[in-house]
Amino acid sequence: MSHDHDHTAPPADIELRVKALESLLTEKGLIDPSALDELVDTYENRIGPRNGALVVAKAWADPEYKKRLLEDGTAAIAELGYSGVQGEDMVVVENTPTIHNMTVCTLCSCYPWPTLGLPPVWYKSAPYRSKVVIDPRGVLAEFGVSVPDSKEVRVWDSSAELRYLVLPERPAGTEGWSEEKLADLVTRDSMIGTGFPKSPSEIQ
Amino acid sequence: MPLVTKDLVPVIVKTGASARIAEDVAPSFNVGDKVRAKNINPLTHTRLPRYVRGKVGTVVLDHGVFVTPDTVAHGQGEHPQHVYNVAFGGDELWGGGASSKDKVYIDLWDDYLEKVEA
Repeated sequence: MSHDHDHTAPPADIELRVKALESLLTEKGLIDPSALDELVDTYENRIGPRNGALVVAKAWADPEYKKRLLEDGTAAIAELGYSGVQGEDMVVVENTPTIHNMTVCTLCSCYPWPTLGLPPVWYKSAPYRSKVVIDPRGVLAEFGVSVPDSKEVRVWDSSAELRYLVLPERPAGTEGWSEEKLADLVTRDSMIGTGFPKSPSEIQ
Repeated sequence: MPLVTKDLVPVIVKTGASARIAEDVAPSFNVGDKVRAKNINPLTHTRLPRYVRGKVGTVVLDHGVFVTPDTVAHGQGEHPQHVYNVAFGGDELWGGGASSKDKVYIDLWDDYLEKVEA
């Protein structure tokens, strides 16, 4: 076997930092390493934007649920079994023909974990966080979408303890659809406000 | 026995830890009030972003009473107070070139705000 390099590359900085933190937490008796594995598995495989999509689909299909969701987001979302870390106090903001909502955390990376999972890398990046409050329409253009000038754009900066979920507008041509089928239209970005739900033709 | 074990993880994930607190504290502001975010520049932890300091907005929601991270972060107590959602116009935040139609809605603690007389 040929040897085409003369050294072993050290692990990346972030990998070393994570290993050091894990060792410290374990050696100090604060955490069992299997608890960390369980935590990683939870957010990699079990909690993600499908949860939020089911909340949105139910709101589209059930006017009474939508009313409860807009009045007390935390309680209505918990009805579907979604609660906990980074979703303790939820506010749902509704897109309408005259209002488009977007979310950001300008101070760090706060994000509603129980309904959307962990935030995408761009959500935590300085360019998104700094630009979306100054030029939300420019950010939408970077995502390849736009809202008409007649709509007011509301950017919700969740730098405090509340977490926000956008309730997108229900696409036309979906009358009579089941909640399960409606949920297939709901994208992660449509619940952040940087995108829109899919159109019926995209999933049929 | 470690503090956090595998069987505790689902409980922690499901329960979380709300910063909301059941304390009866009077609000300094009402929905509809015009308020100015104070121009303060603490060197310690704060959740008052620089871009709203000194700017005038309108209270749109009263979220109730929460602990204050500015003091909790430094072991100086919970200091419970109201958190409000305040709407700021784009033109107020960014000047003449920005849209007055588009707005930033941001949650701010009572201590960060002062009333602007109409």
